[in-house]
Amino acid sequence: MGITRRDILRATAAGAVVAGTSSLPTGLFAASNKTVKIGMNIPMTGDYAPWGLPGLYGCEIIAKDINGAGGVEIGGEKYNIEMVAYDHAYDTEKAVQGYKKLVLEDDVKMVMMLGGSTVASVLPWAQRKKMLTTTLLPSDITPKSEYLIATCESHPLYNVTGVEWLAKNFPEAKTAAIVTNNDAEYGLQSAATYKAAFEVEGIDVVDVNLHGFDITDFAPIVSSVLAKKPDIFCMATSFYVTPLMEQLYHQGFKGKIISCTLDYYDEIIAKTSKEFVNGTIFQFPDFDDPALNDKGVNFPDPGGFDAKFRKDHPNDWSAVSWEYPAILLNWIEGAKAAGSVEPTDVLKSLKYTINPAFVFGGGKWWGSQLWGRDNSVVGRWPVVVVENGKARIQEYRSVSDWLAKNKDVLIKHMKELGLRTV
Amino acid sequence: MELILQSIVNGLIQGGFFALFAVGLVLIFGVMSVVNFAHGELVMIGAYTIWLLHAQNGLAFIPAIGVAIIVVTIIGLLMERFLFRPTRDDPLAGLICSIGVLFILQVVATLIGGDGPSKQVPPPFHGTMVVFDSLRIPYQRIFSLVVSIVALSTLWYFLTRTKLGWALRAVALDREAAALQGININRISMIAIGVGGALAGLAGALMAPLTNINPHMGHNVIITAFIVTIVGGVGSLSGAVIAAVLYALFHTFVTVYFGGTLATICGLILMVVVLIVKPTGIMGVRVSE
Repeated sequence: MGITRRDILRATAAGAVVAGTSSLPTGLFAASNKTVKIGMNIPMTGDYAPWGLPGLYGCEIIAKDINGAGGVEIGGEKYNIEMVAYDHAYDTEKAVQGYKKLVLEDDVKMVMMLGGSTVASVLPWAQRKKMLTTTLLPSDITPKSEYLIATCESHPLYNVTGVEWLAKNFPEAKTAAIVTNNDAEYGLQSAATYKAAFEVEGIDVVDVNLHGFDITDFAPIVSSVLAKKPDIFCMATSFYVTPLMEQLYHQGFKGKIISCTLDYYDEIIAKTSKEFVNGTIFQFPDFDDPALNDKGVNFPDPGGFDAKFRKDHPNDWSAVSWEYPAILLNWIEGAKAAGSVEPTDVLKSLKYTINPAFVFGGGKWWGSQLWGRDNSVVGRWPVVVVENGKARIQEYRSVSDWLAKNKDVLIKHMKELGLRTV
Repeated sequence: MELILQSIVNGLIQGGFFALFAVGLVLIFGVMSVVNFAHGELVMIGAYTIWLLHAQNGLAFIPAIGVAIIVVTIIGLLMERFLFRPTRDDPLAGLICSIGVLFILQVVATLIGGDGPSKQVPPPFHGTMVVFDSLRIPYQRIFSLVVSIVALSTLWYFLTRTKLGWALRAVALDREAAALQGININRISMIAIGVGGALAGLAGALMAPLTNINPHMGHNVIITAFIVTIVGGVGSLSGAVIAAVLYALFHTFVTVYFGGTLATICGLILMVVVLIVKPTGIMGVRVSE
């Protein structure tokens, strides 16, 4: 491809900013454009809302910028992007309803979803309607899920990079305890990955404490785990990072803390202290991080995106704020390359790209060895550490390199925890 | 030994919360014969009030607790006047009404707090008390425990040392006999749900800095309240308090030694065992037909 998505978006974003057009109604600039609708079948209410709604906000910012700059040219025609969202509240029945509405009534060309049981419930529909569907959980991919792809988040594989970095920088940490929710979609997948990563680094896992979603008091759980004196407290992909951190603070934990996410870490600091949260390792950067200007990163003007997001939605930044937008950008690239907005054409064009423009660079299609189909993109992923109360990228590390060397260890731990592998 | 002591302290603090919301549920059931499924949502509204007034608008924590109690009490009174009183002769209708209120309050909380993440309230009492260099108790939890004990003691005094309290207990024992003695059932019902609501509001307010606040947090509260109520003996206030403390200790120790996943299951099994072995619960009284 002569012109990359990065070039186009940089140009359009710059055009919008220079002309001061991004705040003006789209129609003033692109009244004659066609409209392509992109669906989001996500949780916008309920416990899972933090991993849905901020993604919609992010996509709306990207769509507004693109439309404000005149739209996107696909197959010789100009298109405006319109986001159409449905709130399934992480309910499988609502997810199917939403999927049908988006596909049959709204005529969307792609449906973005969070993942898990809600994705599993719509997969037969995706297959029947040949509808390009995306997930943030590649563990949703099956040998038969031809139209389901994960082009941005490869949860929880990237967690291995945090453990690699920890082991390299804190070799004195030799034991770890894992605490997370006991579910096959988030907690167990993540626990298995962390167990594998710890094993590879020679770190002994002294406890794996799994809990349900009905816990209101984390004091007993943390007391129980800290009694085993771990050097590292790993929260895997916990839905309860804030109360766990609070308990670690009150119970005087002095070791290293590692987690998949640390959403709303400013609230955690408010509940504990900046000094306590400093040093916590996780995987999701703020987008005002200077390290995102690294030339391998495929996201246009991350700092500008971060500023717009926080201006419009000051308290809503989460791990997914940039992930759905990154998928939207992947789709645009695929559609441009295909010269078509039709789902099957875009899918084909994306899959034909051997080195897809992964958000953090170095991407390649992967997954058949674990889930039976190469429909997930893995690449570099940042290791993020809280420094002086602010999340900062320390290093990018390669998930694909780790998998090339250690996938058998990962598969062993996935199987041990009863998770599906091929 | 350290872990056992820490677990006992954790259990006692948790027991204080359990007692606050379970006693309210028992009071409402005893006096009005209504299973108030929306009781967990009353706790949730108490927590939301703290988030809105204290965390978002800077009102001091103690006055915010007072407002939370008043807000939830008013909701309770409205429920009694417009839902439970008209359906008093049909317990099933009261139950269904309470389920309706449950959903309404969840939507109200979503409207107030917006979609998105759980709300967090920074603890007004920072820091941790360290005893013998091993036992660690956050000041926020100590405050909550003390307030719970004071609230429950005040309730005990009210129920056992005041005429209104006696009237309330009389209605709980036998509504018709109490009415024949000249006790105003409507007034007593209002007081029962008012007190129950106030305790729920207080529980929510005290929990707010210690938990994730979201419109669905009432689910776990109501399950716990039902377990405590059944184990303690349906209708028995003292039973509810004893069961709350015992259940909290039980839940804490199972969590510590067998894991969090098993803890709630064990709690439900405990409830089933009590129903089979001693259907009246710890302090319940068998009533002849």
